[in-house]
Amino acid sequence: MARRYDSRTTIFSPEGRLYQIEYAMEAISHAGTVLGVLAKDGVVLAAEKKVTGKLLDLSGVKEGGYGGSGEKIFLLNSNVVAGVAGITADANSLVNFARQAAQRHLFLYNEDIPVELLAQRLCDLKQGYTQYGGLRPFGVSLLYAGFDPHYQFQLYHSDPSGNYGGWKATCIGANSGTAQSLLKQEYREDMGVEDAVGLVLRVMSKTMDSTTLGSEKLEFATLTLDTATKQPKAKIYKPAEVDALLQKHGLAKKDEDAEMR
Amino acid sequence: MSIMQMNGGSVIAMVGKDCVAIASDLRLGNQSLGISSKFEKIFPMTDRVYVGLPGLATDVTTLHQQFRYRLNMYTIKEEREIEPETFAHLVSSTLYEKRFGPYFIEPVIAGLQKTPSGDLKPYIAATDLIGCLNFAKDFVVAGTASDKLFGVAEGLWEPDLEPEDLFETIAQTLLNAVDRDAYSGWGAVVYVLTKDKVIKRELKGRMD
Amino acid sequence: MDVSFAITGKGYVIIAADTTAARSIIKMKSDEDKIKVLSPHLLMAYSGEPGDTVQFAEFIERNIRLYHIRNPHPLRPQSAASWIRRSLADSIRSRRPYAVNLLVGGYDPAEHAPHLYWMDYLGTMAEVPFAAHGYGAYFALSLLDRYHDPEANLEEGIATLKKCIDEVAQRLVVAPGKYKVKVVDKDGVREIEL
Repeated sequence: MARRYDSRTTIFSPEGRLYQIEYAMEAISHAGTVLGVLAKDGVVLAAEKKVTGKLLDLSGVKEGGYGGSGEKIFLLNSNVVAGVAGITADANSLVNFARQAAQRHLFLYNEDIPVELLAQRLCDLKQGYTQYGGLRPFGVSLLYAGFDPHYQFQLYHSDPSGNYGGWKATCIGANSGTAQSLLKQEYREDMGVEDAVGLVLRVMSKTMDSTTLGSEKLEFATLTLDTATKQPKAKIYKPAEVDALLQKHGLAKKDEDAEMR
Repeated sequence: MSIMQMNGGSVIAMVGKDCVAIASDLRLGNQSLGISSKFEKIFPMTDRVYVGLPGLATDVTTLHQQFRYRLNMYTIKEEREIEPETFAHLVSSTLYEKRFGPYFIEPVIAGLQKTPSGDLKPYIAATDLIGCLNFAKDFVVAGTASDKLFGVAEGLWEPDLEPEDLFETIAQTLLNAVDRDAYSGWGAVVYVLTKDKVIKRELKGRMD
Repeated sequence: MDVSFAITGKGYVIIAADTTAARSIIKMKSDEDKIKVLSPHLLMAYSGEPGDTVQFAEFIERNIRLYHIRNPHPLRPQSAASWIRRSLADSIRSRRPYAVNLLVGGYDPAEHAPHLYWMDYLGTMAEVPFAAHGYGAYFALSLLDRYHDPEANLEEGIATLKKCIDEVAQRLVVAPGKYKVKVVDKDGVREIEL
């Protein structure tokens, strides 16, 4: 019976459900985990990479103006970084849309786009695909870590239906339930960005399938205020920096593992 | 009354030894009436690419915002900063897009270009209002005092000036040229780009 | 023939505009309000081609209101001014441009500072400590070069404004008789009597 309502995004099932959206959400729950924590002086994002292997050419990743491998964490604007979970191809298209939207706002108002407004822009697009036109909705959830002068540091989450909400700490992708309950236990209101980095890494190491963390499985980013200019500063960690960070927090691979490679 | 002379303003760029300088006045006027003495026409596009936009003031703002939009998209997609020469072509094509209803601006570009060997080479260029590029090895000028700037620069400029000497040369060239131009002046700003830093200096000028 | 002035001081912007609505040599009205309140901390004085002025000012007023309804936060003066400038810059290259000159004054509660923008019908914009449009500008600007003080309190600011108005009344053949004066500061917008 359900199949009659499956193939169209625009049609409700008799139980009042939109199957395509639920399937999209399902796709995301298998994707690499993305975790975000809001601190009082910054926001922290971490993401689990799924596409790994020693044959993968990562030479382009080591340099680059912004760092990151461009699989899970993207710079959307000078004041917003996003982590994506779901269909990577869909995510790329959404990231491009977001960057255009942010630049359009800068062009029109001569200010960096407020974080919530950027989330809204993307959600308007995503909602559109649950109702009109295309064959399926975007199979992507995003976490937005951003800063604007109106609400300072912020963390938002948006899903394929076009819903969004603000969070102090949240998680999307595989094992997000486990991560979320861990976050609920350990989150403290007065956390600084250093504590948040620790929390994110701890939770990440517990939720990820692999036993050890390393730069080939992890992407990491922070958004803080530049002390000199008071402008938001997004930092997407390069592989070497991720490894150094893990080392510092005692979560890096053991030496034997390194030799195995 | 020509539309290029409506708001006034002039820009000059010069090449030195492993450095470049770009300078402009700060006047914004409405014909002969002065409106502001803090109207900057030089904009940093990256740490080592600067653009000066003398001409109609509404288009100074519009073009600056246009370039910023295109440049930010370039930087975020390419994941690297733009080279001066590439930027000059971006300027040129942006202006030529409006070939039959142009922006009334004659941009001046100054920057340090990365060579294949990895060091930085001075780069200056200017275009007309429809984007015809003009590369120069010594200096480029534009704006309401451009004819005077040509004359003074021709007399003062010499090859291989060190950053401080280049600063003095460009500053004196600009200040003395705009003193003979009713539509330019009201203070000036000079940027000197070297390998490791950018020096910005604001100059006092005659306020008449 | 419109005349408008604006000056900034310590934590405020004062904007004054004449109140005459004229058609050629005929005075049609002498209590026209040419200063729009765009938001709780934003004022805009407009002058120029009759018809265009009101049409354009209302277009701006309604769109800024719409932004405030749609979004949880107001547009800051700097952003609002940039958007208004863009509207004029787009208009000047359209089939029928608006001929409207503006003074946009606002107070930014986020950074506790007043801002004043001079704008003309071409989309030229400059942030300035004081500004004027119309024939009054030729008298007021030189006077303000001498007397303007960015640290002046409101009383001193009003006294400086009166100097401008008196100078224009004394020297300009077509001087307006009455002005409407509005102030914007941390408490918002209010009208004051001179």
